[in-house]
Amino acid sequence: MPYRSAERRRVLAAAALGRTVQDPGPVSSEGELLHSVTGEILDVSPHLIVIDTPEGREERLIIAPWATAWRGEAVSPADLPVGSNVIIRALRAGRVVERIWADVTRMTGVIQSIGTDAKDRTVELYCGPHRGQRTIVIPYGASGRLRVRHPQFEPGYLFDAIGIRENGVTHARLPATSQPPYRWTAVPPPPLGYSSVQSRISGTATWSDAFDFDEQGAAYPMLERSDTACDEAGVSCAGLPYLSLGSMLNVRNVCAGRTSVLPIVACGCMAGRFCDRCLECGTSPRGRIVELSPTSFVELGGDLTNGCFNVRLGLG
Amino acid sequence: MLTTIVIAQLPVLVLLLVAGTVAKIWTAARESEPGALSKLGPAVLVAERWHTPAMLCCAFGELFLTVGLLMTDYSFFRWGITAFFAVSTYVLWELRRRRPDVGCGCFGEVSATPVGLRSLGRTVVLTAMSAGMLQAPGATGWSMLTGITWAHAPAAIGGLLVLLALSPEIEEAAARLRYRAPCEQRPLDTSTALNRLRVSKAWQSHESLLSGTEPIDSWRELCWRFFAYPGLSHSGEPVDVVFAIYLSGRHPAVRVALVGIDGQPIKAKPLPDSLPVSA
Repeated sequence: MPYRSAERRRVLAAAALGRTVQDPGPVSSEGELLHSVTGEILDVSPHLIVIDTPEGREERLIIAPWATAWRGEAVSPADLPVGSNVIIRALRAGRVVERIWADVTRMTGVIQSIGTDAKDRTVELYCGPHRGQRTIVIPYGASGRLRVRHPQFEPGYLFDAIGIRENGVTHARLPATSQPPYRWTAVPPPPLGYSSVQSRISGTATWSDAFDFDEQGAAYPMLERSDTACDEAGVSCAGLPYLSLGSMLNVRNVCAGRTSVLPIVACGCMAGRFCDRCLECGTSPRGRIVELSPTSFVELGGDLTNGCFNVRLGLG
Repeated sequence: MLTTIVIAQLPVLVLLLVAGTVAKIWTAARESEPGALSKLGPAVLVAERWHTPAMLCCAFGELFLTVGLLMTDYSFFRWGITAFFAVSTYVLWELRRRRPDVGCGCFGEVSATPVGLRSLGRTVVLTAMSAGMLQAPGATGWSMLTGITWAHAPAAIGGLLVLLALSPEIEEAAARLRYRAPCEQRPLDTSTALNRLRVSKAWQSHESLLSGTEPIDSWRELCWRFFAYPGLSHSGEPVDVVFAIYLSGRHPAVRVALVGIDGQPIKAKPLPDSLPVSA
């Protein structure tokens, strides 16, 4: 059966059940809104950054005195190289830069093979049916802190790291989680369900760079396989209800106190395999219950280098 | 009296050994996902690549001893079963000390509850039962089984009840039967929902509006399954006819809506005015 569009599904479901169609976006009644701006650096100075957005617009943003940047490590914003792809968290209607992540990427998948090089190691990752295979490099200098959080460094085990893309090569720099001790096909079962599903579910929210550039949305693990053409969907240790592409989620960052309404736009089959917890503010219940696009993650107050925040999820 | 009690435990022992063998083979054989045995003893005590062979070895060992006990009168098999349960007691004790998070695996994946005093007590009782068999007269197990009379029943039932009381698998099985996952979390078949839709009144009253008999899209949200069909409204404009079927219950609720190309719902044609009825 051909899958049409998430937007159309949302409209049709709302009409059939007699509910209003909710527009995606942040819930504005909770302090100053954060904005996410993405693009390629054209010029940068200590006080000003000029970027070329995906729409081809040139944006000139003011860099706040307290602003920080990350490109494999903490750097001064003025030291970012021209040509870097950046994600910027901005205040004041998106004009004042507060935080910059340059060439940041996240490698979430299953270890397929590991190179035998002595120093920098090449690792093949399987990132799910939609995202395919990916080759990453673990530099010798980062291997210690990555291996200590990934003790099962062998094919069949999950891997999650944050790094940078440099000259077309993906370099892992930071572990994004403590590796689950089980193989990716042996996800622990969810707790036994009782009478009905809770209206709000708590867990971990992460981000992924597998979304389209500047896309607002989320990937959700508990989708019917037949509806999404994703043979590995429908696995989670968190006891999630079934939803579909196009369903709206009310995503609340418990740590930052910010909420957004986001559509499900992708299959989060790989996120569902991680039965870990986020320690961003207290210990979250186990299980990754949603995977956000970088833009949505930043606008909800998340830090891309931390990799997660504690989340409370409701149906939007 | 003592001999009667000892012989009465034979069917109980055979029943448990056969059940353990079948459950272990079934668990090892349907382990479609590697790592599923990593929470079951005693496989967990060996290297990961030996998990399945260890489980199968244990199962076939039990089968060998059971068949030998039933078919022959060699004391080797009686001693073998006694030794098997005695070693099992030690292994469970070690498992409890070294891996308190894993189950005993005595009955495959049903025995996933962490090893406790009850599991240990059960193997102790089984060791005692099999040691009692050493005192039984020298005959094949089968001949003893066929010679069992109603006089042995109280002792056999007593032995079985003791073992059931010491089996944590009973609670696990009862919980699985009692707590059914809510509709929102259960995988449910699309074709069943489609069949229910096609016998509903909503379908029959809107079937004439549909341009095709096969849905162009179908998706699920919580306990609702949606089917979208191409159609024409009463005024002849192209619309999507969307049906929503509740996935729980024998006579589920079905809702329907007509949505235009612009995404706006189209109101259904009003019912014709009723004819006046003369008195």
